[in-house]
Amino acid sequence: MEKAFKWFSRLAEMIAGGMLAAIFLIFLLQIVLRYLFTPAGWTLELIGILWVWVIFFACAFVVREQDQVKFDIIYLSVSKRTRKIFAMISAAALVIGMLYTLLPTWDYIDWMKIRKTATVRNPFTGAKIPLRDVFSIYAVFIVAVAARYAWMFVDILRHGPPKTELELAVEAIHEAEEERAEEGSDK
Amino acid sequence: MSFELISLLVTLFFLAAIGTPIGYSILLASVAYLGVAGLDVALAGEKILQGFYRSTILLAVPLFIVAANIMNAGSITDRLLNFCVAAVGRFKGGLGHVNVVASLIFSGMSGSAVADAAGIGKIIIEMMTKGDRYPRGYAAAITAATATIGPIIPPSIPMVLYALVSKASIGSLFLAGILPGLIMGAVLMAMNGYLACKRNFALEEPVPLRELPKKTANAFPALLMPVILLYGIYGGVTTPTEAAAVAAFYALMLALIFYRAISLGKLYQVFVDSARSSASVGIVIGGAFILNFIVIQEQIPQAISAMLGGAEIHPITFLILVNILILVLGCVLDATTIILVIVPLFIPTCEALGIDLVHFGVLVVVNSMIGLITPPYGILLFVINAVTDIPLREIISEIWGFLAVLIAALVAMMLLPDMILWLPRLLGYQG
Repeated sequence: MEKAFKWFSRLAEMIAGGMLAAIFLIFLLQIVLRYLFTPAGWTLELIGILWVWVIFFACAFVVREQDQVKFDIIYLSVSKRTRKIFAMISAAALVIGMLYTLLPTWDYIDWMKIRKTATVRNPFTGAKIPLRDVFSIYAVFIVAVAARYAWMFVDILRHGPPKTELELAVEAIHEAEEERAEEGSDK
Repeated sequence: MSFELISLLVTLFFLAAIGTPIGYSILLASVAYLGVAGLDVALAGEKILQGFYRSTILLAVPLFIVAANIMNAGSITDRLLNFCVAAVGRFKGGLGHVNVVASLIFSGMSGSAVADAAGIGKIIIEMMTKGDRYPRGYAAAITAATATIGPIIPPSIPMVLYALVSKASIGSLFLAGILPGLIMGAVLMAMNGYLACKRNFALEEPVPLRELPKKTANAFPALLMPVILLYGIYGGVTTPTEAAAVAAFYALMLALIFYRAISLGKLYQVFVDSARSSASVGIVIGGAFILNFIVIQEQIPQAISAMLGGAEIHPITFLILVNILILVLGCVLDATTIILVIVPLFIPTCEALGIDLVHFGVLVVVNSMIGLITPPYGILLFVINAVTDIPLREIISEIWGFLAVLIAALVAMMLLPDMILWLPRLLGYQG
C-alpha cells in the first residue's frame, strides 16, 4: 500500500512537471512560429488547457500539505493538543465542503459539453474537444482533496498533527548537514 | 452587511485562523456564501475555471518560478555572490553591502521566501558570522531586510498578481519597480555603512582589483535577465507572458551552456518543484477569482468609495491610510493574500481619487514586502531563524534600523509619485 502510494505520487509529479514543461515549450514554439512561419491560433488555447490542468492536477496529487499558503500564526502558537483539534476540524470541514459542492459542480462541468475548444483538436479523432473534458479535472480535484483530507483526518487522529513547514525545513537542513559530516568523515 | 456576507466572513476567518490552507478556506467560505444566498454552489467552480482559462497573463507566474528555480539549481547564485564580494566587499561593512547588492541583482524571484532564505541567505549569513566579524543577529537581520528588494525589481511575481487584480499594465509596473528597488538598496546600504562605522565591524580582506573583470564577466550574463525581459515587453517583441517564457529559456541556456551547471535530473526536479509551487499559489489565485465575484455582487468597493467620498478624503490621506492598513495586515498576512484579496477592494477608490494604478501597485508591493520582515509575524524572520538557528530575539532586536529606513523609503515613494512613474513615462506610459 505504502509502495503503491509512493509510486503513484512519483507518477503524478512526472505528469505535473511534464505539463509545465509543455507549457514552456509551447510558448517558445509560439514565438518561433510567429517570427519565422505563420502564427498559430492553437498554441494559446492549448496552453490555457494545460494551465488549468497543471493547477488542479498538482493541487490534487502533487502539492504537499506544507507547501500550501497558510495563515498559521495562531496554529503555530497553540499547544500540540490544540493543533490536533484544529487540524481535525479543518480536515473535516474540507471533506464536507468538497463533497457538498461535488454534484452541482459536476452538473456545471457536464453542461459545458455544449461548448467546444475553438482551435485545439483531439489528436486521435481530429474532433474539437468539449470544454467538459477540459474542466473535468476540477471534479477530479474535488474528489481527490476530499479523499486526501479524509485520510488526513484519520491520520491525525492516530498520529497527531502533521509537521509544520518550519519543522520540515529544519529537519531537511540537519539531514543535509549530517550527510555532509558523514562524507567528511569518510574522507 | 447581508447575512450571506457575514457567513462568508465568519467561515473564512474561522477556517483560515485554525490553519486551513488559504485557498481552500476561501473556496469553502464562498460555498457557504453561495449556499446561504440561495445561489448555485457550482458558481465557485465556474468562476475559478473560467478565470484560469481566460487569463493568460497569469501564466507568467509559473514561468518566472521555473526561471528562478533554474537559476538556483544552476549555481548561478554562487557566481553572482563572488562578483558581489569582489565589487563591494572591500568597503566598511563590506559583507553587509554584498548582501544588499546580491539581493539587488539576483532579485530572488522564486516566490518562496523559504527557498530564497534557505539558499543565498544561509550562505551569506555563514560568511558574515565566520570568525565573529558580525553579530549573528545583525547578519540575519540585514539578510531578511535585503530579501525584500527582490520582488520590487523585475521579474516579479507580486507585480503580476497586482496586474491581474488591477488591470494595470504589467510592463509599466515592471519598469516602475526598478527605481524604488534601487532606492531601497541605497538606503539599506547607507544604514549598513552607518552601523558598521558606529559599531566598528571588522574589515574584509579585499579581493585584488585585477580579479574584478573576470568575476564581472562571469556574472554579467545573469545580470542581463531583467534587460531581456523588459526589452521583450517594451520592444513589442513578445507579450509579457512570452517574455517570461523567454526569461526562463535564457536562464536554462545560461545554466546549460554558459555555466554548464545543471543536469537533466536537476532540470526534471526544477519542473516538478515549479509545478508544485505554481499550484499552491494558483489555488489562492483561484480563491481570489471567486472572492472578486462576491465582492462585486455585494458592491463592496462602491460602499468603500461612498464612505470615503462622503468624507471628501484627499488622495494622500487615502494612500497613507491604505498603506498603514497594509503595513499592519502585513504583520499577520502573507503578501500573496494581501495583494489578491485586500488590495482589489481599494482599486475603484483609487480610480475615483485619480491615483495612478501603477504608482499604487508599486506602493502595495513594496509595502507587503516590508510586511515580510515586520515583527511579530514576519515570514522571513521565521525562515532565517529556522535555517540558521539564530534566535528570533536577536534577529528582531537588530531589524529595527533597517525597517525604519525601508519605511522612510516607502513614505518617500508615496509622496513623490513622479519618482516612480518617471521611468515608465520615459518609455511611453500615459499616466
